[in-house]
Amino acid sequence: MQHTHEDSGRSLTDYSREIHARGHGPEKKRRWYQAKALAFLVRLALGIVFVYASADKILNPAAFAQAVYNYQILPDLLINLTAIVLPWMELFLGLCLILGLWLPGAAFLSTFLLITFFGALLFNTARGLNIDCGCFSTTDGTLSDISMGWYVLRDGGFLLLALYLFSHFFLKKD
Amino acid sequence: MIQKTSRKQIWYLGFWQMGAIVIVSVTLAVLINQFRPDRLPLVSVWAPESRLNLDTGESMVIALGEAKGNFHSGSAIFLDARSPEHYEQGHILGARNLPWEVVEKYFDAVMEGIPKDALIISYCDGESCALSKDLTQELFFRGYDNARVLVNGWSLWVEHHLPVEKGPLPGRF
Repeated sequence: MQHTHEDSGRSLTDYSREIHARGHGPEKKRRWYQAKALAFLVRLALGIVFVYASADKILNPAAFAQAVYNYQILPDLLINLTAIVLPWMELFLGLCLILGLWLPGAAFLSTFLLITFFGALLFNTARGLNIDCGCFSTTDGTLSDISMGWYVLRDGGFLLLALYLFSHFFLKKD
Repeated sequence: MIQKTSRKQIWYLGFWQMGAIVIVSVTLAVLINQFRPDRLPLVSVWAPESRLNLDTGESMVIALGEAKGNFHSGSAIFLDARSPEHYEQGHILGARNLPWEVVEKYFDAVMEGIPKDALIISYCDGESCALSKDLTQELFFRGYDNARVLVNGWSLWVEHHLPVEKGPLPGRF
């Protein structure tokens, strides 16, 4: 957008507000672009993770229901419903993140979901329950502590990405 | 003209968009589930006992005490449904390894010489591990009518200091 003194119909407040939004100098502008680019990469990465994670679960709902059951957290009434809905939510959420649709909402929901997943995983690790996390594949199996540790680390990484997006949309300075 | 969104507005936007994503996903998921051939019922019974029942209502579960008796009298064959790696790290003494993932490929080799009416006790690890249940169902399907599941078998066996051994079976997998 070009703004000159000839711009008519624009109040001084509009103009100063815009200058404020864009930053005052080239340094601020550069940082603004960097933040924008980083947020783009983060939401792309997170989006791909969600879409990828949804695929196997959508293909094998019964196996995913078993994985949900294995967490031994949800009441029996909610297990199938979770197994039916969660994969499609992940797919839709992933697409929103990749395509840039409803971004604040998608950032919000990603953070919420990943905190929940991470909490469930930590909870089960803490109580010594060895479960296949069912994160990406619905094939069940028995696992060692090392793989539980790896799941915690990996999900923690995803959560950090989501938290970054969250802060980008909701906590940045006006 | 630049309209800066205030912090309050962005929170409001975030909330309703999140709600919208949830509503769209739930609707889509439930609709698609209703129309797919392998649909899940929206609610089903998940108690371990009911999952370990046969279609006839008979339970597949064998208690540790009974399994122990069968082990000492040598009247049962133990099948480890876990992965070869776990089997190698330790298994019930004399157990054969038939990992559920490769059951089709190795069934005949592993089950060689076992009569159809033999008592076969499958186990894996963890209360919720489904491998031994799946394996036992497969055994029933193939006509082994005396197959049972020792729930949380490996952990229970170790906890009760029952005989175990390590290492792979020679020449298998």
